[in-house]
Amino acid sequence: MIQIKNIYAGYFGREVLKNVSFDVKQKDFFGIIGKNGAGKSTLLKIFSNLLKSYKGDVFIDNKNLESFKSKELAKRLSFLPQYSDMSMPFSVFEFVMFARFPYMNMFKFPSKNDFKAVEKAMDFLNITNLSERKITELSGGEKQKVLIAQVLAQETDIIIFDEPTSHLDIGSQNNILKLLSDLNEKHNKTIVLTLHDLNAAGEFCNKLLLLEDGFVCRCGTPEEVLNYKDIERVYNTTVIVKTNPISNRPYVIPVSKIN
Amino acid sequence: MLNRRMIFIYVLMPILLFLVFFFSLTYGLSGISLIDALSALFNVGDENIITIIRSIRLKRIIMVCVTGAVLGGSGCVFQAILKNPLADPFTLGISGGAALGASIAFISGFASVASFFTPLFAFFGAALSVFTVYIFGFKGKFDSNIMILSGVIVSYTFSSVVMLMFALSQSTGVQQSFMWLTGNFSTFDERLMPFVVTIGVVGLVILSLSGNIIDVISLGREKSEALGNNIEKNIKIIFLITSLLIASVVSVCGIIGFVGLMIPHIMRNFVGTRSMLLIPASVFGGALFLLLCDTLSKIVFAPVVIPSGVITSVLGGVFFVFLLLRAKKSSI
Repeated sequence: MIQIKNIYAGYFGREVLKNVSFDVKQKDFFGIIGKNGAGKSTLLKIFSNLLKSYKGDVFIDNKNLESFKSKELAKRLSFLPQYSDMSMPFSVFEFVMFARFPYMNMFKFPSKNDFKAVEKAMDFLNITNLSERKITELSGGEKQKVLIAQVLAQETDIIIFDEPTSHLDIGSQNNILKLLSDLNEKHNKTIVLTLHDLNAAGEFCNKLLLLEDGFVCRCGTPEEVLNYKDIERVYNTTVIVKTNPISNRPYVIPVSKIN
Repeated sequence: MLNRRMIFIYVLMPILLFLVFFFSLTYGLSGISLIDALSALFNVGDENIITIIRSIRLKRIIMVCVTGAVLGGSGCVFQAILKNPLADPFTLGISGGAALGASIAFISGFASVASFFTPLFAFFGAALSVFTVYIFGFKGKFDSNIMILSGVIVSYTFSSVVMLMFALSQSTGVQQSFMWLTGNFSTFDERLMPFVVTIGVVGLVILSLSGNIIDVISLGREKSEALGNNIEKNIKIIFLITSLLIASVVSVCGIIGFVGLMIPHIMRNFVGTRSMLLIPASVFGGALFLLLCDTLSKIVFAPVVIPSGVITSVLGGVFFVFLLLRAKKSSI
């Protein structure tokens, strides 16, 4: 689905990504973890084609990213950035409808398909009742759901999220990640996301990529990536890794004092 | 829901516009009854009345409508692109440039030579300020704050040059410039009308149809590019078209404030924020509002006709007070 080969990228003479290579297979729930500044956001921007100056190649479905027209790419891949501007008082329905832009002729009004896609997306997120509310009046959790409905309405096979849950409470975070899980398992979407919460990453993702200073430290299953040696070195802290008795996934416990 | 708003914009507003249009036809320095006015439109009736109606009033009213439509529509476009509810057609410096051009025309005496020199100079002045803001604003990646800053700088710089000219000049050109600056429809060169009307109508149709593109731009760079939108190219084109519209209208009629600022806010209460609806609504709303102001300007101190720009400024002040009171109430 997505193949990243030998990416070198940076900003103003500072190299952020060094020789990064990995694959994302179809129906993966792919998590990218690492310290702040390790290059996670940069990586996402590269394979969403928002950052165009890099060395190396990105292939989407065996086609080089550079050869895609922007509207064509927008129908294959959708991207939810970390911060979204929701300062204009559009209604929720209008706001989600913007996602259909790649499908709309610029001079035409939305078609029946566009309306259906928006309604389906909002139904999936359980926000149909918010349809006519102004996006400026919503709570944090509601805004996040609206943003996710927006990428859903774009109806792409690959959805990329940049830290979708970093600012949410644990309940909201679990809800959102469960929603994304449903998207992945029941609707066959390939999901790529960056996370700060290592445990959420271990619990929900089937593959992880640990970035360290712009290099690929480790890429594989959560059990392979979330080992205490790598985590301790990358994050410069002390941890213990145990197994969640219910899901058999690894979870990472911080250690405050060593006796 | 979409249909109700569409009916409002494309049926109700034009009807209102027509009504005010005919009302305005009957008002002026000489009282003319509605029946006489209507028949004069079709070249029937008294010679004098026909001349007044067709040559003077009709042309003025059409000009007022086009100006109001352009100001309303372009104010709406700028507010969306700059993501600033205080933006108006003159935020990006056009008024300074036009004022400079017109003042040069008056003070140098060119204006007395031929009547079309003033709008010509004003247009070039406006074009100069647009060009300057374009260079600064689009140097790197588009940033709405940098654009606004460039517009403010250009406006102040050009205005101070105008002030300098006023201070150093002895001629009556200064007084003429002041009159021009406040914006009025009493004196304008008719020969320019076909150009202004054509540019206005074509430009406004294009802008009205570009509502979706403008909205996506306001989602921010990352999101709009992720939706397959070439943000740099689209903003440049929209900016140039809008600036051309404003420059052509301002060159002929002077600077009329507050229409471009107020109308989008008012219309937003009726049709919502989506540009696809708000731009055409602001176009009709602007035409309607300015026509009302212009008619008022003939009535209120009759028989003296005060510049329409004065009426819009007064109403603008009242509007702002109202907005402030409403904002204070909602924040309590």
